[in-house]
Amino acid sequence: MKEIMVYTERCNGCLTCVLACAAAHAEDKTIVGAMAAGVPGRLFIQAVNGRPVPVLCRHCEEPACVAACMTGAMQKDPETGIVTNEGHEQTCVGCWMCIMACPYGAVVPAPGKEKMAIKCDRCPDRDVPACVAACPNLALAFIEPEDFARERQKSVATALAVEAGVPA
Amino acid sequence: MTAYVIVGNSAAGISAAETIRRLDPEGDITIVDVEKTPAYSRCLLPNYLGGTRSEDALRIRPRDFYQKLRLNTCFGYRVARVDVGEKVARLDNGARLKYDRLFISTGSSTFMPPVPGITGEGVYGLRTLEDAKKILAQAGQARRAVIIGGGFVGLEAAWALYRRGLEVTVVEKMPQILPQQFDACAAAILLREMQAEGIRFILGTGIKEIAAPGLWEKLTGKAGRGVILENGDRLKAELVIVATGTRANTGLVEGTGVKVNLGIVVDKYQSTGMEGVYAGGDVAETEDVVSGRIGLTPIWPNAVAQGRVAGYNMAGIPREYGGMIGMQNAVEFRDVPAIAVGLAQADGDGYEILKEYRPEHNLYKKIVLKDDIIVGLILVGDIRQAGVYSALMRKKAKVTRLKHRLLRPDFGYGQVLSA
Amino acid sequence: MTSCSACSAQGTCVSAHRSTNEMYDRTRAMGLATIFDRYEAQQPQCGFGMQGVCCQLCSHGPCRITKKTDVAICGATADTIVARNLVRLAVHGTAAYTHHLEELARTIKATVAGKTPFKIGDEAKLREIASLVGLDAKKPAGELATALADIILAELRKGSDEPLALVNLLAPKTRLEAWQELGVVPGGVLSEIRDALTKSMTSIDTDPVDLLLTVVRLALAAGYMGLVGTITIQDILLGTPSLAQSEADLGIIDPETVNIVAHGHVPLVATAVIQASQDPEMLSLAKKAGAKGIRVYGSMCTGQELMQRSATSAKGFAGQLSNWLAQEYYVATGAVDLVMMDMNCSIPGLKTVADRFHTRLVSVDRIVRMAGVEDHVDYAPEKVAEQARELIKMAITAYKNRGQDIHIPPYKNPAVAGFGVETILGALGGSLDPLLDAVKKGSIKGIAAVVGCTNNRNGHDTRGLTIMRELIKNNVLVIAAGCMSSAAEIEGLMRPEAADQAGEGLRGICQALGIPPVLNFGSCVDIGRIGVAVTAIAGALGVDPAQLPVVASAPEYLEQKAVVDGVFAVAFGITTHLGPVPPVTGSELVTKILTQDIEGLTGAKFLVEEDPEKAAQAMLAVIDSKRQALGI
Repeated sequence: MKEIMVYTERCNGCLTCVLACAAAHAEDKTIVGAMAAGVPGRLFIQAVNGRPVPVLCRHCEEPACVAACMTGAMQKDPETGIVTNEGHEQTCVGCWMCIMACPYGAVVPAPGKEKMAIKCDRCPDRDVPACVAACPNLALAFIEPEDFARERQKSVATALAVEAGVPA
Repeated sequence: MTAYVIVGNSAAGISAAETIRRLDPEGDITIVDVEKTPAYSRCLLPNYLGGTRSEDALRIRPRDFYQKLRLNTCFGYRVARVDVGEKVARLDNGARLKYDRLFISTGSSTFMPPVPGITGEGVYGLRTLEDAKKILAQAGQARRAVIIGGGFVGLEAAWALYRRGLEVTVVEKMPQILPQQFDACAAAILLREMQAEGIRFILGTGIKEIAAPGLWEKLTGKAGRGVILENGDRLKAELVIVATGTRANTGLVEGTGVKVNLGIVVDKYQSTGMEGVYAGGDVAETEDVVSGRIGLTPIWPNAVAQGRVAGYNMAGIPREYGGMIGMQNAVEFRDVPAIAVGLAQADGDGYEILKEYRPEHNLYKKIVLKDDIIVGLILVGDIRQAGVYSALMRKKAKVTRLKHRLLRPDFGYGQVLSA
Repeated sequence: MTSCSACSAQGTCVSAHRSTNEMYDRTRAMGLATIFDRYEAQQPQCGFGMQGVCCQLCSHGPCRITKKTDVAICGATADTIVARNLVRLAVHGTAAYTHHLEELARTIKATVAGKTPFKIGDEAKLREIASLVGLDAKKPAGELATALADIILAELRKGSDEPLALVNLLAPKTRLEAWQELGVVPGGVLSEIRDALTKSMTSIDTDPVDLLLTVVRLALAAGYMGLVGTITIQDILLGTPSLAQSEADLGIIDPETVNIVAHGHVPLVATAVIQASQDPEMLSLAKKAGAKGIRVYGSMCTGQELMQRSATSAKGFAGQLSNWLAQEYYVATGAVDLVMMDMNCSIPGLKTVADRFHTRLVSVDRIVRMAGVEDHVDYAPEKVAEQARELIKMAITAYKNRGQDIHIPPYKNPAVAGFGVETILGALGGSLDPLLDAVKKGSIKGIAAVVGCTNNRNGHDTRGLTIMRELIKNNVLVIAAGCMSSAAEIEGLMRPEAADQAGEGLRGICQALGIPPVLNFGSCVDIGRIGVAVTAIAGALGVDPAQLPVVASAPEYLEQKAVVDGVFAVAFGITTHLGPVPPVTGSELVTKILTQDIEGLTGAKFLVEEDPEKAAQAMLAVIDSKRQALGI
C-alpha cells in the first residue's frame, strides 16, 4: 500500500504543499479560492530550530483517532488504508476526542462555526495526493514504504561511499 | 470452531467483535445486550437530547454491520449470571449460551445518590437511549429543569435542554464545575461561557431531597415538583436529571469467583483469571498510566482499546494492553473547546506548572510536570496539539529540552521529533 | 537564537540586552505580540524567497526555480531572477538615501533665506566643498550654501549619461579607474533609479552580469550622493560631529518628564524639537501639565545623528534608547508620550503597542505613513520652528493621558560620541600619522567598520556584539555606525573603560588617547563618513583603499539601504562581511561573482558567514593578508 513519505532534508519550508492541500479541499479547487474561503491545509510545516519539518497524518495501522471516535465517523479503509472521518454513513460531531488521541497532532478542528475535525484524507479521488504532486522540492513521495526504505539505504550508502572516496 | 460470547453491544464489545472477526474468520460470535437497538454512541445522547442528532445518526456502525461481520445478535436479553465452570452464560429468560471465550463489557449505570424522592417520577439519569427518550417526553411538557451534578454528563445535558428552550439550573456539590477534570481557572472560563448563554449554576451545595408534587405543594403551597438543596434552598422543576457518576454493571459475575473491586479486575491481557473470561470497557478496572492508580476508566477510547486487546487474546494472539491515561475528556460549549488529561489539578511539592492564561481570548493552557515528565494537561481555547502532549505523557518522555517550547503556539510534533 | 554567545541572561534570551529581554517579558505578560513573537509566527520561511529564486513580476508568476524546473515560464534562469531581484533591492536603498539628501538641500536653501531655526553649522566645510565643486569660496556663506544646494539638486536630477561630479572629485584615482573600466560610474541618481527600475521590469534586462553591474552603479550613486553627499551637507547644516558625552539604554527614560522620541534617520525635525524644548513657554506648559521638564530621546539613526551633535546643534539631547528591533519596547515602558517618525524604519507593529498605551505616533515626513496613525506633521523647512512647538504641545497633551502602568528597566551606560575624520584628527593633534604609525607597528592591526542594521536571525544584536568584542580583542579598532552603534552603546563598548576588553596594543592606544575601542561614527548614513576616513587614510599612505587592512561587517543587515551600503563598500575596495545570508544563493553565478570574482575587479568581495566567531576570524584573516601585502 502506497503511503506519503517525507524526505525532511529536502523541505525548504515554502508551504506549497499546504496550499495545494487547501486547494484540493476547496470548493473551486484553486489556491486563491481556498485562501479566500479560509480552507486550511491538512498537513503542517513546523519550524524546528529554524528548519522546516513536515508533519502529516501517517494513516496508522491501528489509528488512535479511530479508537477514540465516539460517532464511528473516523474509520480506516481496509482496502486503501486511508483514515478519514469524511464520506461515511456516520458523521463527525466535533467532540475532539480524535484530536486528543493523535500523537502527531495531525487532526485539528475545522475553522469557523462548523463543529468538525479535519485531517488528511490522502486525496481519495487523485492518483497522487495533492501535496505530493505539488512539492517543488520532491520532499514528499507517494510510494510503497519498502521502496522508500530501500532508497534511503541506497542514499546513505552513496553518502558513505563518497565520504570514503569510493565510487558508488 | 470457537464460540465467542460478547456481553455488551457498545464501544468495547463492538471493538472486540471486529478484532475477533478479523483474526478468526470462522469463529461463532454472539453479542448479547439488554438494549434492543444496534450499537449506538452514549456520548451522543446529549446531542440527541438537544435535537442536533437524530436517533438513526446515533448508530456507530453501518446498517449491515452485524450481517457483514456475521455476528449473532441477542438483543433485549440480560445475562443474569455466568457459570464459569460450565462455560455458560445464562440469560434472564432462562436460555443458556455456551461459550469458549466470554467478553464482559456490560458498561456502567447511573449512580443515584440515596436521597428521598430520587426514584420518583420525572427524575432521570442520562445513560441509555431509553433514558434520553423519557427525558425528551418529559421535556415537552416541562418549563424548568434541574441538573444534579456539574460534571461532563450534567453539563452536556444542561446544554442540550437549554437548546430545547428549557430554563436550566445546574447544582454541583463542589465549588466549581467539572471538579474531577479541570482546575478552577479552566472551570471558570467554561462556567462564564455557559452563564453567558443563560444557564444558571448553584455551586458548593448538594441536594437533600427531591420532593414529589404532593409534598412540594405542602411545603410551598404551590403545585409542582422540586429539588431541595442541602443549604435549604428550594428549586422548582418539572424535570430533574441526575448526573452524579456511574457504577460498573458487575452483577452477572457475582458469586462466580471473578474478582470485583470498583469494577471487574483484569490482567494486562484483559483476562479475569477465570478460564476464557475476559472483561473490558467501563465495567473493568484499569491502571492509569500516569498516576498508577487502579480504578474505573469510563471513557470511549479506553473501551475501544481494551476491546481490541481482549479480541486479540480471545482469538489466541497474545497482546498486552498498552495502558491509557484514565482522565481525559474534551468538551465544547459555545465556541470554547476544552480538554483535560491526566493529573491536571496536581499542585504542590514536586510538581512544576507551566501556564498561559489569556482571559480576553478565552485561552488557557496548563501543563503539569513532575521530574520533567508531563503528568497533566489542560487546554482551553486552543486544543490543536492535545494529542502530542498526551503521547508525551503516555510515553513518560523527559521533556527537559522541550520545556521552554511547550506552551508556544507553534509547538508540535516536529519539535518532539528533533528533541 | 540558537547560539546566544553574547547574552548572559538566565531567563528570556531573545536579545543581547537585558533591557530588551525584560521588556519582552513584560509585553508577553500583557498578551501583546511583539517582534520576537511575530518572528516565531513566520517560521518556517519559504526557502525560495530566501534563495532569491522567486519572481512575482508578471501575472504568469510567481515562478520559482525548483528541483522540477530550472527556468521560469518566460525562460528566466535562477541567475536572472536573483540578479533582477537584487537590482530592485538596490533601487529601494538608493531612493531612500536620495530622499534624505533632497530634504537637506531644501533645508539649506530655506535656512539661508532665514526661514528655519537652523544656522549654517560648519562654514569651513561649506567653503571647502564649495571650492571643490568649483564655486568661488570667497563669496558670502549664504550665497555659497544656496549655490551648493542647487548643485546637489541638479546632480540628483541630471541624466544617467552625465557622470556624477562627486564621484569624479572625491573618489581615489585608482578607484575611479577601476570603475571606469567596468563602466559603472553613475550619472544623476534619479536617472540611475529610473534606468535600474526599467531594466528590472519583465523582459528588459535579463543578463545577470549586466544586472549586477547595475547594482554596482546604483551603489556608487547612493554612496557618493546618498552617503558622502548627505553627511557632508548635513555637517554643513547641523555642524560636523564633535566629541560628546551621552548615555544609552531604556534606563535613561525619566518617568517625570514629557518624553519625546525621535525615531528614524533624518534629524531635521528632531533638532528643531530639541531646540524648541528649551523654550521657556514650552517648559512652562510642560510644568503646568505636571511634568518636571521635556526630554527628547533618540531611537535608531536619528538618535545617533543627535548624539553625534549633542555638543552643538542637538545640545540637550537626552540619549539613545535603542535600535530598530527594540522600537516597540520603549513604547511599552508606558513612559513615552510621543514618537516622531521620520524616514525610515518605523514598523507597523509600533502602532499596536502604542494603542495599548497613551503614546502618540506622529509621522514627520510626507512619505512616512502608517495605518491608524492620523497625526501628520510633515516636515517643511519653512515651518519647522512652528512644527516643533506643535509636536511638543501634542506630547504634553499625551503626557496628561499617561497611565500608571509604567516599567523602565533600570539599565543604562555612558557613551562617548562624535567621532569622524575631523574628531580623530583633532584627537591625534591634527595629523593621521600617529594612527597610521600604530597600524604600521601593529599595535592596531587594522580597522573594521561594524555597521548597519540589527536583525533577529541570530538573536537581537548578539551577532554584532560578538564580532565587535572578538575584533577589539584582536587589536582591531572598530568603528560603528547605524543600529550597530546603539548595540555597542547599550553594552558599554563606547566607554573609554571598554579598552579593558581590547587586546594589548589597541588597549594602549585607547588609554593613551582616552577613547573607546569602538568608535561611534553615528548613523547608517555615516557609513559615508567611514568612506571619507578610508579615503583620507589611503591618500595619506598613497595606496588604494583595497590595499588597506580595513574590513567592514554588516553582521545583522536587514533592509534595502544596507544592500547598497554593502555593495558600495565592496566596490570601494573594502571586503565586507554579511551575517544574514542575502537572497542570492539560488544563483550560483551571482553568488560566485559577489563572493569571489568581484575581488578581481574591485579588490574586495563579500564574506558571508552566519557564525559570528568564524566571521571575526575571517575578517582578521583579510586584515592579515592586506598587512602582509603591504609588508607591515
